[in-house]
This record gives sequence, C-alpha cells and structure tokens, in this order.
Amino acid sequence: MSEYVIEMNHIRKEFPGIVANDDITLQLKKGEIHALLGENGAGKSTLMSVLFGLYQPEAGEIKKDGKVVEIRDPNDATALGIGMVHQHFKLVDVFTVLDNIILGAETTDKLGFLKKKEAREKVIALSERYGLKVDVDAKVEDITVGMQQRVEILKMLYRDNDILIFDEPTAVLTPQEINELMEIMRGFAREGKSILFITHKLNEIMAVSDRVTVLRKGKYIGTVNTQNTNKQELSNMMVGRPVQLEIHKKDAVPGETVLDVRNLTVPSKIHKNDAVRGVSFQVHKGEILCIAGIDGNGQTELIHGLTGLEKASAGKITLCGEDISNASIRKRSRAGMAHIPEDRHKHGLVLGYTLEQNLVLQKYKEPRFQNHGFIRFGEVRKYAEKLIEEYDVRSGQGPITIARSMSGGNQQKAIIARELDRDEPLVVAVQPTRGLDVGAIEHIHAQLVAERDEGKAILLVSLELDEVLGLSDRILVIYEGELVGELDPKHTTPEELGLYMSGAKRQGKEEKQNA
Amino acid sequence: MVFLIQQTMLYAVPLMIVALAGVCAERSGVINLALEGIMIFGAFMGVIFIRMFQGMGFVQEQGQIIMLISMLLTGICGVAFSMLLAFSAINLRADQTIGGTALNMLAPAVVLFFIYMIAQQSTLGMASGGAAGWFMIRPSTFGLPKDYSWGPVLDLFLNKVYPSTYVCLIIFIQVSIFLYKTRTGLRLRSCGENPQAADSLGINVFKMRYLGVGLSGFLAGIGGFTYSMTTANCTSTGEVAGYGFLALAVMIFGNWTPLNIALGSLLFGLFKCIAAIYASLDINGDGVYLLAEIGISPYVYRMLPYVITLIVLAFTSKSSRVPKAEGIPYDKGQR
Amino acid sequence: MPRIEPESGKIKWYKSDGAKSVYASLISILIGLAVGTLVIIIVGLLKSNISPKGIWDGVRLVFLGVFSTGRTDGQLTFGFNPVNMGNMLFRATPLIMTGLSVAVAFKTGLFNIGAAGQYLMGTMGTLSVGLWLGWSSCPSWLAWICAFLTGIVLGALWGAIPGLFKAFLNINEVITCIMTNWIAANLVTWWFDVHEEFKNAAEGGKVGYIIPLKNVDVVTPKLGMDILFPDSQANGGFWIACLIAVLMWVIMTKTTFGFELRACGLNRHAAKYAGINDKRNIVLSMVIAGALASAGGCLYFLSGNTEFYWSTYMSLPADGFNGIPVALLASNHPIGVIFAGMFMSTLNIAGLQLKYLTAYNEYIANIIIATIVYLSAFAMFFKMLLNTKRKKAKEVQIAVTTEEAKPEIESAETDEAAAEAEDAVDDEEEGGQQ
Repeated sequence: MSEYVIEMNHIRKEFPGIVANDDITLQLKKGEIHALLGENGAGKSTLMSVLFGLYQPEAGEIKKDGKVVEIRDPNDATALGIGMVHQHFKLVDVFTVLDNIILGAETTDKLGFLKKKEAREKVIALSERYGLKVDVDAKVEDITVGMQQRVEILKMLYRDNDILIFDEPTAVLTPQEINELMEIMRGFAREGKSILFITHKLNEIMAVSDRVTVLRKGKYIGTVNTQNTNKQELSNMMVGRPVQLEIHKKDAVPGETVLDVRNLTVPSKIHKNDAVRGVSFQVHKGEILCIAGIDGNGQTELIHGLTGLEKASAGKITLCGEDISNASIRKRSRAGMAHIPEDRHKHGLVLGYTLEQNLVLQKYKEPRFQNHGFIRFGEVRKYAEKLIEEYDVRSGQGPITIARSMSGGNQQKAIIARELDRDEPLVVAVQPTRGLDVGAIEHIHAQLVAERDEGKAILLVSLELDEVLGLSDRILVIYEGELVGELDPKHTTPEELGLYMSGAKRQGKEEKQNA
Repeated sequence: MVFLIQQTMLYAVPLMIVALAGVCAERSGVINLALEGIMIFGAFMGVIFIRMFQGMGFVQEQGQIIMLISMLLTGICGVAFSMLLAFSAINLRADQTIGGTALNMLAPAVVLFFIYMIAQQSTLGMASGGAAGWFMIRPSTFGLPKDYSWGPVLDLFLNKVYPSTYVCLIIFIQVSIFLYKTRTGLRLRSCGENPQAADSLGINVFKMRYLGVGLSGFLAGIGGFTYSMTTANCTSTGEVAGYGFLALAVMIFGNWTPLNIALGSLLFGLFKCIAAIYASLDINGDGVYLLAEIGISPYVYRMLPYVITLIVLAFTSKSSRVPKAEGIPYDKGQR
Repeated sequence: MPRIEPESGKIKWYKSDGAKSVYASLISILIGLAVGTLVIIIVGLLKSNISPKGIWDGVRLVFLGVFSTGRTDGQLTFGFNPVNMGNMLFRATPLIMTGLSVAVAFKTGLFNIGAAGQYLMGTMGTLSVGLWLGWSSCPSWLAWICAFLTGIVLGALWGAIPGLFKAFLNINEVITCIMTNWIAANLVTWWFDVHEEFKNAAEGGKVGYIIPLKNVDVVTPKLGMDILFPDSQANGGFWIACLIAVLMWVIMTKTTFGFELRACGLNRHAAKYAGINDKRNIVLSMVIAGALASAGGCLYFLSGNTEFYWSTYMSLPADGFNGIPVALLASNHPIGVIFAGMFMSTLNIAGLQLKYLTAYNEYIANIIIATIVYLSAFAMFFKMLLNTKRKKAKEVQIAVTTEEAKPEIESAETDEAAAEAEDAVDDEEEGGQQ
C-alpha cells in the first residue's frame, strides 16, 4: 500500500517546439496540501493538465494508490476522483450555477431527460457542509468572482473528487477571500482529501502548504517540507539564482506636477456602479507613482479613462498644463503621454504587421514619415533600425519581421522602445512585465528607473507586490474604484498593502495628505 | 380567413424548421450560413425521391406515404451535405462563413447541373401529377365528396392541408425539447457557449458540434423539401428564393430561442403570404380587398422581414442570446 | 541553457508569406479543376448518350474552353478565338470589381458578403440615370459619367449600412450584409416595377428587361478592345477595372490611409490605442467596398448591350458572390484580383463552350468555382498552420522555454476574415455585449 495517493513519475510533455515538462516526478500524500511552485512557463499548469487528462504525456506514468492508471480525458480523471479548479474559470456564463455543476455529470432518466431535483438537493447539501455559499439558480454571469470560484469547487465535490487541484486560485481574490479559501483547503485536508495547489506566491505557500515541489523551465528542481524551508530558499529554487527581491535605485527627486487628475469618474461596462469614482492624484517629474490593487478594482478603467480609450463621465485631467479631459486618444498622446498597454497583443501591437510598421504605429502621420498621405518607406526603415539598436529588440529578420513571430519579451521591448523613444514627459506603464522572464523583467525595470532619473513622470500600474514595492517611489492603493491609501514603499509592508487592497483599511483625507 | 391562416402556415413552416436548423448548429458553436444551400439540395433530392417512388409504381392514393418517406430520406441527404461544412469547420477549423457561402454556391450549381442533365430544362418536377393532388389532405382522402366541409375549425386543420406541416411542427417541438431538456442538449449548448469548459468536463466538443451541424442539415433538408412541395408544386428549380437567408433572419429575430422563432416565422410568413396574394386577399370575406386598396407594393411586404431584423439587431444587441463561442473553431491547445 | 541566436537574414522569396498564398491558391484551383473533371467523367460514364470521346471533349473544354474555336467535322478545334477572349475580358470586368470589393473589405477585417446587393444598387442607379440623361439632350460622355457616379454613390451608401452597424453597434457585418442584399433586391425590383418608362416594352415581349443603354447611346467606349477582339463584347470597361485595381493597390500599400485601414483589419484594438479612429475606418472601408461592388454593376450595364432582368427579388446576381472566390484566390491583393477575375471568367467561358459544343451544361463551371471557394476556406487555415509551425521552431531557438511556454496557437491575431472571431471574443470580454 503506497503512502502516496498520486504519483506522477518521469512525466514528459511536449508541444511543437517546446518541452513543457521534462522528466518530472511529483508525489502527493493523502491528506496533504502540496504546493507546486514555479515562475510563468515553468510547466506547472501543463503538469496538472496532464494529471487531469487534458493532455497526454509523451512519456512517464501516473499511479493512483500505487496502481498504474491511464488518464485519457477528464472523464477518466473524474472517475479516479481527481478534480481541478482552473485559473480561468471554465463556466458557462448563461447557464445557472446548478447547470454548471451538473454539466458532464448529469443524472437522467432512461430517455435522457435531465433530473434536476436530486442534483439540486445534493448541491445544496454540499454547499452547507463545506461553507461554500452559492445561489443555485443564479446565472453565472450575474454572480461575483468569489462565488464563481465556489461553483468551481462545488463542481469537484459534486463528483466526489478527493484529489483536488487548484490552479492559481488566489489571483482573483481579495486577501480576506484568500484566507477563507485556505481555511476551506485545510478543511478538505483534515477530511482526508489531498490537495495540489499551483502558485507562484511564496506567502501562500508558507501559510498553508505541507510540502512544496519546485519546477523551473520544465524541469523538476526539488521537493521540500514547508516547515523546513523559507521564502528565500524557495525563491532561489524557483529562479535558479539568488533573486534580489529589491531593485536598487537612487532616491527619487520629484519635481513639478506633470499629470493632474481631479475627480475622475469612469462608468463601468459591466455593472451599474462607476468603475472609477472621483479619483484624484498627481504625478510629478522624476517619480514613479504606482497604482496598486487587486485586478478588477478599477485600474483598467482608470487607465482607459486617462488615455482616452474610454470616456470619463466626470473629472478633469491636466497634462503639462493642458486640459485633455475631452481630448481624443491621439491628442492626449501628443499632449505628452506615452503608454505601455496592459495587453500587448490586444492593444500594443498589430501582430500581422512587421516590426517596423509597429514601431511607427503612432508616428506614421508625422511629416517625417509621410508626404501628402504617401508613406516614406525609407524614413520608416531608418527609424526602426535606430530603435532596434537602442533598445535591443531581437527578431528573426530585423525590421521586416512579422510581429507575431517574435518572442513575448521582444514584443514587449518593441512596445517599450516605441513608447519611450517618443520622449514624452509622462509614461503610463500598465503591467509592463507581465508574463516575462526574470531577465526581461530586470531589463525593463532598469529602463523605467533610467527614464525616471531623466526626469520623466511614470505612472505604473502593477499587480505584482514585489514590483509595486521595489519599483515605485509612491504607492496609491485603489479599491472598488476609489483611492483608499497613499503609502511610502520604504515604510510599508506587503501585509499593510494587502489590507488596503482588500478595503480593510483606508486612510482618511488628512492621512493621505500627510503621507 | 381560413385560407389566410393556412397560406401563412405554408410559408411559415419551412421558415420555422430551417431557423431551428440554424439554431442547432449555432448553439453548438458552428455558424451555418449554408441553410440556403442545404434547402436547395433538399428540395432537389426530395423531388428525385418522389420521382423515384412514382417510377416504382406508387399511385396517387399512396401520396402521403411516399411523401413521408421522402422527407426522411431528404433529411438524411441534408445531413450528408452538411457534413461538408462540419468537416471544414470542425476538423480543419476553417472559416465558417466562407465555408457556408461555398456550400450556398455549390448546391445550386450541382442541382442545376443535374437537372439539365436529367431533364434538359431548368426545372425538375414530379414524374406525374402535382403536389396538391398527391400530397394534400382533403375530403377526398377520406373518401368524402370534393366540396365537403367539416366546419371552419376542423377545416383549418384538415382541409387542404399538407401533412408536412404537422410533421414539421412535431419535429420542431421534439428538437426544441431535446435542446433544452435532455442531457445531450445541455452538453450541446455548452459547446456553443464555452467549449473549453465543456472539454474540461469531459464532453467531446467535436462530437457535439458534428451533432449540431448534422441536426442542422437534417432540418434544413426537410425544410427545403417542404418548401418545394408546398409552395413550388414539388418542383426543384435550383433556388429557394432566399428562404435560407430569411430563416437566418428569423433565427436572429427569435433570439436563438425556439418559441420566439416559431412566433417570428409566423410573422415573417404572414408578410410573405400577404406579398404573394394581397391583391386577392379578402380578409373577412366582406368583399373588401383592403390591402389592395392601401396600395402598398408587395415588395415592401417582402422587404419588411429584413428591415425588421435589422432594427431588432440594432436595438437588442446587448440582450442578444447569440451563442458566445459561435464561429470560433475549437482548438484543444488553447487553455 | 545556452542561448541560441535567431537566424538572421532574409527569407527566400519562394518561402515568403506571399509565395505561400500563391501556392495555396494554385492548389485550390487544381483541386477545383480536378473535381470538375471528375464530375464530367463520372456523369459521362453514367449517361448513355455521352461517348468516351464526348467525355474527353468535355474535359478538354474545362481546361481550354477559352481557346475553343468550335467544331470542325465533329472534332473540337482550339486556337486564338478573339470572340471568346474578348468575352472573357468583358465578363471579367464585373468580377474584378466585386473581387476588389471583397478583397479590400477582407484586408480591413470585414467580410463583404453584401457585394450582390451593392451591385444591384449600382445597377439601379446607372440604368436609371443613364436612360434619363440619355433621353435628354445631355451629351453622351456626360451622361456616362453621371450614370457611373450615381451607381457608385448608391453602392457606397449601401455599403455604409453594414459598416455603421459594425462600427457603432458591433454587429457582425455578415448578417447585416445578408439583410441588405435582400432589401436591395426588393427595392430595385420595386423601383423598376413602378417606373414603366425603363421597361423594354418596345422590343416585343421584353417587358421583363430594362432597356439596354446602347439604345440611348450611353455606352463605354471600346478603347481599342474592338480591334484586339473583334465581334466580342469587350470594351473599355476592362481597362477601367484594371485602373481601379491599381489605384486600390496604391492606396492600400502606399498611403497612410491604407496603413490605417489594414491596421484596423488586423487588430482593431491596437489600432484604436494608436489613436486610429477605428469606427471611422470600418465605415469607410465598407463604403469603399460598396462603391467597388456597385461599380461592377455599373460597368457591366454601361457596356451597352446587356439587359437587366429587373424582377430580381427572388435571386441575387451571381457576380456579387463570385467576387468572393476572386478575392480569396488573389489573397486579397488588388493586382492579384485582376488575374483571379480573369481566371474565373475563363471558367465561365469554358462553361458556355461546354453548353454549346457538348451534351454537358455550363454549371460545371459553377461547381468548380464553388469547390474553389470551399477549399479557400482551409487555404487560410493551412497558411496559418505553416506560419505557426515556423514560429514555434523559432521560439525554441529564441525563447529557450523561459517565457510563455504556453502551447496555444495565437489565434487572437490571425488573418483578415478571422478578425471576426477576435471581435466575438472581445465582445465577450467587453462585458457580454452581444
């Protein structure tokens, strides 16, 4: 009788051109909470997808309770008692909570007609037993993110799963909801259910897990007992070298106000309340101001309202003395705003265009690049080559490379090259390092600090606490559309930030002015 | 009045069943623009089968039977034809609107080619007799004299009615129940809204989409045959006067829901009916040809369904129930 | 892990993206012709009145129809047939225009399936104004210009409708185009039904047709076509179409306007972020597409001797839809459209030759064309696949599995017509608007 309820031995999973899992061995004990740690692209999600039957490994075996099993699809996984809560919820928005839970595991009569009464009773019973509050008849599109996650958990419990996989479950939760989730997981573990918990957040691992397995670039690095390790050691295993959790930079010397935002209000597209409610702040020359907060609290709309992508319903925006509150995107851009957008594939690049076409995406109308409406191709080429050289943008064929074929890091570098070269007084950088490797992240951080030292005003929006604390000179926390606190990164802690981000703490007016 | 209702039903029934065909495909995630083409093919095959049965020696009294069998066979042909779209859209993940348009071009080409090869003319009709004589339910079907009347209510249902109307209605109801009350229907619909979710629950998205498209082909094929039989005297001409596209309009107007589609097809069918017969339409039998006197051109009535659909599209875009994942090929690699 | 430097230097021309498109088109054509040939052979074998020689004749005409010079002593002869060639160019003219219409729309991310309706609106405008002015004392050349412009303006307006729906309400242009097609069909029929003066009552029994413009001498000049191809219907319209194609090419590739349009087509959101007015561009694109499609109708009827069957409420003009395969075969390249249009016209001529010279009929050509469209739907897919494979190989070299080792195919930014899919996804992200 094996001590391990699940063993994944020497798993190898390939995709065209990439080895996502290279000879990985993972062992899960019964009743333990086992964390799977690694950076983006380490192969954690892939490995769990193999366990859940979404992918078939090229090599390796999986054992349950010591016996070799074959998991060809999620049905096999479910039959073995394995369930998964995905990072991006797999819910059908227009179906009710109940329909979502029973989908794929429906009880029917002989003719195939659905029998919902028993299902409903079972779901309600499970919900009460584990403290997972849901509204069974509500449509998924109408319920909160927290409740949606509970629906995903109930999906697993409904199928009597007792090996539960959670893929980055806390990305969308407030710190309070994260604590609740961890309690629920501990509850499952006490009952004898075994939990695999994918994350890249060291705090959570230290708080709730029994053991940690670390993956790096598709390879297995090691497994440790949580109580015998610490964050520094885990972090070292994760990136392979001692990571400076801090960014070295000189102190900021802020100058005059470059951007002045007063009472900005932006309506929400999803619900009736405003997404941004009467927000006011200033960004000065030579400082990096960071807007911190959990995703979904209005940062996106704030930036959209600032850049002109969305129309603000109230408020005044002044950039370098010019009122741009009602100006078009192009006018704001020319008034002095450079923008590194949140989603580089959606808003930053035209993937079907070449690198040089992307580099002149905003400048093509300048007299330098066009003559009575006809493009000056020679000038475009010269400009592109200059930027490629200066910002070290690598690509297969230089300026004529199709953007789609470039790597993520170089695509981001191209966007940054384009925006920073414009030499605008204000740089709006939204999650500039999302999804990039450590090397590229360091490079981009260094560039932003350099810009700051040259006197630019930088408005940074970031979800990564390390980046928020390490890179910024001043932090503003946004919660449910309002600025609830202004903090000095040198004098605050991640915990304090978390409290503000979850709305548990907010500064009164005088506190903000004094900070 | 009875006449008006019956005529409207004739126009509405093919619309209804073909609109539902569109729904079956779209709810599983595949846009089926080829409804027109499948109808054309169905109309043609239906006529071929009827001629075949006539050639085998069946007689007019057995008309309804051969009609029913032909409907079934035509439906199967519709399934086969729609497999072209299914393969292209599902397995090869090709563009669905282009694929559908291709089938809309292929069907009349193939049909007209064979009509000319068979009949050396541009239409193909029954081997003998006409649709009304062979297929309609009339007093004579029951051995009663020709001008017998059962009274206005029963007359509505039994006198000079095609059995295809009832068959289509029954199929319509059955398919609707299937979509909303059965397990497979639930799974099918999930594939049109969020195929990743369905896949992660072990549902075979490919199979469900094939089912959706196949069902779509079956219904559209039957719709095409019904159209040619009831409004074109069981003649295949290589076109169905835009019915397939009108059915798309009904589908949108009906917000992808069976009940609304039924109502929508009645409305649009009414317009088509009025357009065709308005000059001789005496609504309450009092000798007043009201619509003729108003003088609105029949072309306005024919345009109305499309104009109305545009207006509906414009004003209800936010609450539209269009299946979220329709038109997007399902790629297992994307998580 | 060692960092492997990406391959630098240019890609050979025959491996380039453009070359791949040509290969894909050629394959589609070959398979289409093969299917047509197969149909001829099979039907020939099944039908008793077609001999093996008849089958061989049929096959030869499929490939060489435009060169057919009729029969001598029962044998098919081939050679330069000015009538066939001229007619081929004549019939290619509307196809080039509708092909341009669809191609330009595709390049900006829109599927203009409404070319047929726009074609009809152009026809209505040109015939009406042409006849009106023709009957008046207006000089012919002025009447021609007015007729042509009226047609284009009507087509442009008609194209604007789906454009506005897409730009401002985010409603898929395919469905609005289908609606406008049929509204146009009814509208045009209604217009001519009411205007008795346009109907050709004079020429015994042709009341179902509109008076041909040659009757009022509002006709496109031959511009040398009558010398090159005597006795055919060819006229200067072909040169005009070619000129417009070149114009479109210049606009799309060499101007800032074209740059904006294509950017919108490839990624509407990034274009918006860059300050490009995406809504305006979508509408403009459909307006241009509408004008181009309607110009096809204008040129066809301005040739003078063509007759318009005005009761069109039950069927849409084939040339409207045949623009789709033209655009697809040309991979949406304006100059390529000229050749693709000529090729399609060649097929049509071959079909007619089949009808006149053999026991087969002209619908073989339509079958071949439909097959080509069907295959073109996957041609784009195969191209995408080839691109992705190349990209993955590069990623192994460049990325060294450090970044996004996600195995997805980035279908968020694929080709023109698939940009619709992106809209659907984004509508979902923008809060479930649709």
